[in-house]
Order: sequence, then structure tokens, then C-alpha cells
Amino acid sequence: MADKVRLGLIQLCGCSGCHISLLDLHEQLLDVLPALDIVYAPIVADVKEIPEVDVFCIEGGARNEHDEHLMHEIREKSKVVIAWGTCAVYGGIPGLANLYKTEEINTTPYYTKTTDNPGVIPENGIPKLLDTVKPVTDVIKADYILPGCPPKPALNAAAIVALLNGKDPELPKKIVCDECPREKENVFPKEFKRSFEGTPDNETCLFEQGYTCVGMGTRSGCGAMCPSANMPCRGCYGKTDAVLDQSASTANTYANAGAPALEIPDKVGLLNRFSLPAALISKKVQK
Amino acid sequence: MGKVTIEPLTRLEGHGKVTITLDDSGKPTDVKLNITALRGFEQFVVGRPAEEVPRIVPRICGICQTAHHLASVKAVDAAWGAQIPIAAEKLRELMHLGNMIHSHALHFYYLAAPDFVLGPDADPAVRNIIGVIGAAPEVAKKAIAMRRFGQTIVEAVGGRPIHPVTGIPGGQAKVFTEEKRDEILTEMDAMIEFGQEGLAIMKSLNEKYLDTIKTLGVIDTWYLGLVKDGKHNFYGDTLRFMSPDGKETMDFKPSEYTDYLGEHTVDHSYVKYPYNKKVGYPDGLYRVGPLAMINVCDSMATPLAEEARKEFVETFGKPANQSLAYNQARLIELLSACERTKQLLEDPEITSTDIKAEVQPKAGNGVGVVYAPRGTLFHNYETDDNGIVVKANMIVATTHNVPTMEKAIQQAASVVFK
Ligand code: SF4
Ligand code: SF4
Ligand code: SF4
Repeated sequence: MADKVRLGLIQLCGCSGCHISLLDLHEQLLDVLPALDIVYAPIVADVKEIPEVDVFCIEGGARNEHDEHLMHEIREKSKVVIAWGTCAVYGGIPGLANLYKTEEINTTPYYTKTTDNPGVIPENGIPKLLDTVKPVTDVIKADYILPGCPPKPALNAAAIVALLNGKDPELPKKIVCDECPREKENVFPKEFKRSFEGTPDNETCLFEQGYTCVGMGTRSGCGAMCPSANMPCRGCYGKTDAVLDQSASTANTYANAGAPALEIPDKVGLLNRFSLPAALISKKVQK
Repeated sequence: MGKVTIEPLTRLEGHGKVTITLDDSGKPTDVKLNITALRGFEQFVVGRPAEEVPRIVPRICGICQTAHHLASVKAVDAAWGAQIPIAAEKLRELMHLGNMIHSHALHFYYLAAPDFVLGPDADPAVRNIIGVIGAAPEVAKKAIAMRRFGQTIVEAVGGRPIHPVTGIPGGQAKVFTEEKRDEILTEMDAMIEFGQEGLAIMKSLNEKYLDTIKTLGVIDTWYLGLVKDGKHNFYGDTLRFMSPDGKETMDFKPSEYTDYLGEHTVDHSYVKYPYNKKVGYPDGLYRVGPLAMINVCDSMATPLAEEARKEFVETFGKPANQSLAYNQARLIELLSACERTKQLLEDPEITSTDIKAEVQPKAGNGVGVVYAPRGTLFHNYETDDNGIVVKANMIVATTHNVPTMEKAIQQAASVVFK
């Protein structure tokens, strides 16, 4: 790679959190930025046309036709495309929309109780929604993936530095449980609790205490931030390379608890919270 | 007749374009702001257990995620009738201020300042934070330090710097340790100083560009902000509308919002146009955010910021209708957020372990409101007997400003294309 990398950044169906996480390098930004020539980034700079770039980071998946169109344009103009963040890699939280009909996604906001002209649906000068939310990897070829909602600043930096040195960025291979400081006894809970019930013990595994932690099905890299804050993991780094499907691998562990696992409310929304569009069963079949 | 499209609209979270229709003489006849993204959160939180929703909705916006997390957990508390311990209330406010400091520093130093520091005529490609690092490294370093400070607080209290997780129905999941508090306190006074310096930079820039500020994008609208006992407040508890001439105010509680707020769907934008229902559409269009907050309050809650507010009123009037006065208003808030953060950090209760009450899920309807860095934010959920969300309504910060942004762009277009 050239000594200065021409970089493009864009937010599609995402929240800009991945961009913010890059800024969270804070003082280190002053070391990283000089190596980069940011030639396109609508969030921070006023450039209208997408130029030719070395590396393009796409945040967010495709929700509408315009997102899809931009992905193709970016692919054509970039040497390396990175699907940046869990939305881009697996669909992310917006992918929960795949549990509903597109029509509902398109109309429900215009029937809320504060809407004074319910039933008027906007359609002029705005792009049409796709039938489902699609990760970048479903639309174009991505050269690398960088999951995390958002990826930690250090992971962003490591990927950039690797590319600068002509190397492939590497992802953590383990699961969140491997990074989690809580003690495990390899027992299975007799019943499951919702996160507001009781106060979890600070030292031992949340799953073993009956809280619905999904760290065992989730790629490491975050440092087990949520369990460290006394909250169960929700799977925001997606699956590991070793398995086909995040929810299937998590469900496998839960199945060991037997019947109580069946009582957990909203299993689809729990096990597929961040990766439904990339799951083996990626949407709800609507009659 | 011609058409001009400006796309993408930059430095705006969300996605938009501007379509300007020109007549034969090149005068704009129609100016529209199209917000082109829709994600459907109001639909896809339906069916989710309500306690999970505060962990889902932060993804509406990666900049003000903490505000979404908090408005959401407040709404669930309200729906289930939960009373949370005072210490939890203080922790949530502290988390909120951390987000406010990060976001205001981001907005001013990273997004607005490049235009001022490098001048509006500088090459757009360098008119960004990297340009600022080159041209005024000291300013850039302080901007970076302030953002880091804010994010550190959110992470310490919320578990994560972006998309925090510790707000749960009934209170907070994680105790704030004394060590962490002391560590953060060591930087506190420096941040208050940076806040004052930022304001001084802004005031001198204002003098330089005063003509532009007083003419470009000046519009009369209603204002909506959040106060407590009439004072400026980031976290709660009373909403206040103020009329364009400042003569009329209306105070109401979050739970009464449907009496005061209407939303009007337009054909050319995915966002609805919120308005003051007592006034009607479109006369009741309003603005939120720093300008509105500074306009509606009787005074700031902290001393240095209150001094700055008085000066602001002398320069711009009350209410100030100049869109570009937003920047100075934002810096007054940044200073105030730092001052209030210090008060909370010095409050012995902030490290209390009594942070969570037992709650029972039930059928209910709850509204949660906080002032997000871009403007007042509403989450409203209805739950069933098991505490599962059956209906949701959200009015997010940027949305409130879209109709008036469109108005400001229309006004600016008539100046630029005359
Ligand atoms: S991955 Fe997370 S942080 Fe990144 S855009 Fe998606 S929701 Fe936002
Ligand atoms: S299941 Fe959760 S709490 Fe238990 S070890 Fe894994 S990540 Fe930690
Ligand atoms: S613990 Fe789980 S949900 Fe939390 S940040 Fe890590 S991967 Fe994401």
C-alpha cells in the first residue's frame, strides 16, 4: 500500500456509532490521521462525489434502494471494501425489521397517536425500502469484515494499521466468555430470569445465575464489556468464524438447560438481536 | 424551470438531500428537504420485552445513544410504575451529562468550528477536524480531551462509551466506584476551563461573522426545551414551549405530551413534522436543541453558564431567532454540563450502592423524556401484562428540527439565489 491511504467512510443503514468509535481513538487520532487521506466522509467533510479510493469503510447495511446503489458505486471505485461494524456485516439492530412485513415498517410510523394525518405515506423524492435489511456482504463483495456494535477503537486502529502495512486485518477468534472475568462452574440454570429481576451476584457467570447472557455464541473483542457492567451480553459482535449461525450456536448451549429455556420470552429477538439478516433463517415468513 | 439537487447533505446524522426548483429567472420557487432514511424502530420494538428496549433504541443514533437509552428506560419505569432510588437518578443524570459533553464538543469543534477556524471559503476537502488539527492544533487537542472526558464518564457509569447498558427498569445495574469518581475528578477543573475558552473563541468568531449570523437562516419559530423549576435542565422534568416573540410560554409534563405535540406527515420526507398542537400546523412548528433550550429557560442552573447566558441575551435578544446563534448556545450548554458534572461527582451519594428497586412488569403506558444533545427526545411505550411492548411512539431530536431546517434552507436559498 501507498504510504498515505486514500480512505472513504460512509454511513448507510447504521447509526454513525462506528464513525464515533473511530473518533474514540482520542489522542491516538493524532498518530493515526497523518497516515490517512480521508477523501470522502459525509459525516465530517463536505464532498459530494464519491472518488476513487484505496480503502472504503461502509457503516450500516442496505435498507433502501439508494443504499444498495451506493454500495455498488463504492465497490467499483474502491480497491478494498470493509464491511464496518455489525450492521454492515450482519445487519445489526435494524435487521430486527426482518421480523415484520416491509409494509408495516413503511406505514406504522405514520399511524402513531401523535400523527394528525394518519395514512399519508411519504413517497416523493425518497428511495423505496427493500423487502429486507441486507448486510453489505449480501450486496457486494467485501474484502474484510470488522464486526462490533460498534467495533472498539483499538480494533478499528488495528485494522487500519494492518492495511497500511500491507497485511490482512485479523479478528479475535474466541468468544466473549473467554474474555469474561466471571467465574464459571459449568452448571446449567434451573430457571431463567429477565434482566430486571433481582440483583445478580458480581463474581459468577450470569448465564449460570439464570440471566440470558449470549456471550457463549458471540465473538470476543469487546473485553466482555456488558457482563463486566453487570448486564448480560446481547451478542453485538456477531458469530465467530467457527460456526455458521450465531443463534444456532447459542441455542445449543441453552438447550442444555432443558425445558426452562423454552419459557424465555422473545427468543428470536434475543438470539438474533444483531445478526438476523445474516442468520440461516433470516426473516419471518409472512402469510 | 430548473432543478438543483444538493446531495448528500453532509455533517448531518441521518440522510438527506435538498431539492430546489428554480423558475426561468433563476429564482427558487420551491425548496424541499428530503430525509431519505427510514429504519422502523417504532415497529420492530413491538414484541420485545420492555426491559430490552433500552438496549435496542440507542442504535437510533450513535452520537446521542445515551439519551435514547435513558429516555427509553424512563419510559419503561413509567409504564410499570417503578420508583427508582435517588442515587440511580443521579447516576443516570451523570451518564447523560457525559454524553452531552462528548456530543456538544463533537458538534462544535469537529463539525462547526472548521467553518469558522478555517473560514467558510476554505477548500471543502480540508474544512474538517483534520484541517483544524493542522491550523489550530491547540484547539484540536482540547476538543479531543473534552470528548474523551465525556466518553469516559459514559463508560464508567453506563458500561460502554457508545450504546450504554446499565439503565434497567427500577434503577441502575452498576455501582459507580469511588476510585473511578476520583480519577474523573482530577480532570474536571481543566474541562470547565476548556468550556470557558471555547465560549471565548466563539464570541470572538461571532464578532467577525456577525453580519452573516444576523441575516442567514433567521426564522421565527416556536421553541421547545426542558426546564426544572424554570431553570435550564438537561435531564428533566418539565417541557416548555415558547412563542416566536417570547411572550407566551406553555409548561407541561412528559405524560401530557400528546395534548401538546402533533406530528404531520409530508409527502417528500420520511420524517414527520412535529408541531405545537395548541397552535396548529404549520404555525406551531418549533425548534429544539441548544438555541431553544437557552431561549425557553428563565436562567441556567449553574453560575458560569448563567453569566454567559445573560451576555447571549444581550447580543441576540430573547428569544434569539438566528440559526447561527446555535453555536454560542451550544457552548453555554457545554460549560453548564461541565459545571453540573462537577456538582454530581462531588455529591457523596453518587457512589451509593442503593441503586435499584424491585419492579414488576405490568400493562401500562409510559413516557420518557430527556434533552438529547440535538433536542428534546420522547419515547413512549405501551406494554402488556407481561411487560412486552405492544405499541411504541418515538419523537427523536433531529426530527423536531427538520421542518424548521427546511424553512431556514428556504430562507437561505432566497438569499443565495437572488
Ligand atoms: S454497528 Fe452499531 S454502532 Fe455501528 S452503525 Fe450499526 S448500530 Fe451503529
Ligand atoms: S455466559 Fe456471559 S457471564 Fe457467563 S461467562 Fe459467558 S459472557 Fe460471562
Ligand atoms: S458483551 Fe456482548 S453485547 Fe456487550 S459489547 Fe460485548 S459482544 Fe457486545
